Amino acid sequence: MAEHPVIGYVVWAVLFGALFAWEGLALSHISGVPTLSDAFRAIMRYPVGRWALFALWLWFGWHIFVRGWHFLLRA
Amino acid sequence: MPSSLLRQDVLPVAVGYLLLMGALAAGLRLLRRDGGPAGGRREGAPGPAPGRPGPAEIPGPAGIPGPPGIPGPPAAGWARLARRYAGTVLGGYLLLMAVVILYYYGVARVSGPFIVSAFTGCALLIGLSTPVFALASWLDVRRRARRRHQAGG
Repeated sequence: MAEHPVIGYVVWAVLFGALFAWEGLALSHISGVPTLSDAFRAIMRYPVGRWALFALWLWFGWHIFVRGWHFLLRA
Repeated sequence: MPSSLLRQDVLPVAVGYLLLMGALAAGLRLLRRDGGPAGGRREGAPGPAPGRPGPAEIPGPAGIPGPPGIPGPPAAGWARLARRYAGTVLGGYLLLMAVVILYYYGVARVSGPFIVSAFTGCALLIGLSTPVFALASWLDVRRRARRRHQAGG
């Protein structure tokens, strides 16, 4: 595994932490804070939004499940 | 900072972050335009925009209402659901391939069969997920119909 500066991992942790904190605020029914589901639902009303989300899903699935994967018994 | 680190780590993270934040910002803007934090879907929130049906008013396949809070397919059942699914899949696939090609030629020339893997890998994912989605949709419609039948008598 390639070694990266710790700051790179810290940035990811902060980003995900902020995301979950925002979602927590929204789920606490604080007015004016939509949940992630609300935001996705609004985006999915429009074709371009659905394309973007599907592309994001594909990109994620491709990286997690497909890249670097080989069929069993393949030489 | 080495240029390879900038090109292969910092830039993709920054681009991913901007895309995610951009999508969220677009969602927030749309929500605000529609007049409420939930776009008219959360309890106590104002209804959908005038002239636009709420999710519960949009029937799913075979005239069965879609899941609460999730926009269902327009009206005419499975054919429309299939058309909408095909449009979403095709649009999303083409959009991702365009981004991948731009990223490859414009930002980082990643070694190995990157482009080929993107095209075939994403097509494989679509091929695997389509029957699962179709089966799940069919089971969902069947379950709702059974519930409605039981509730009706």
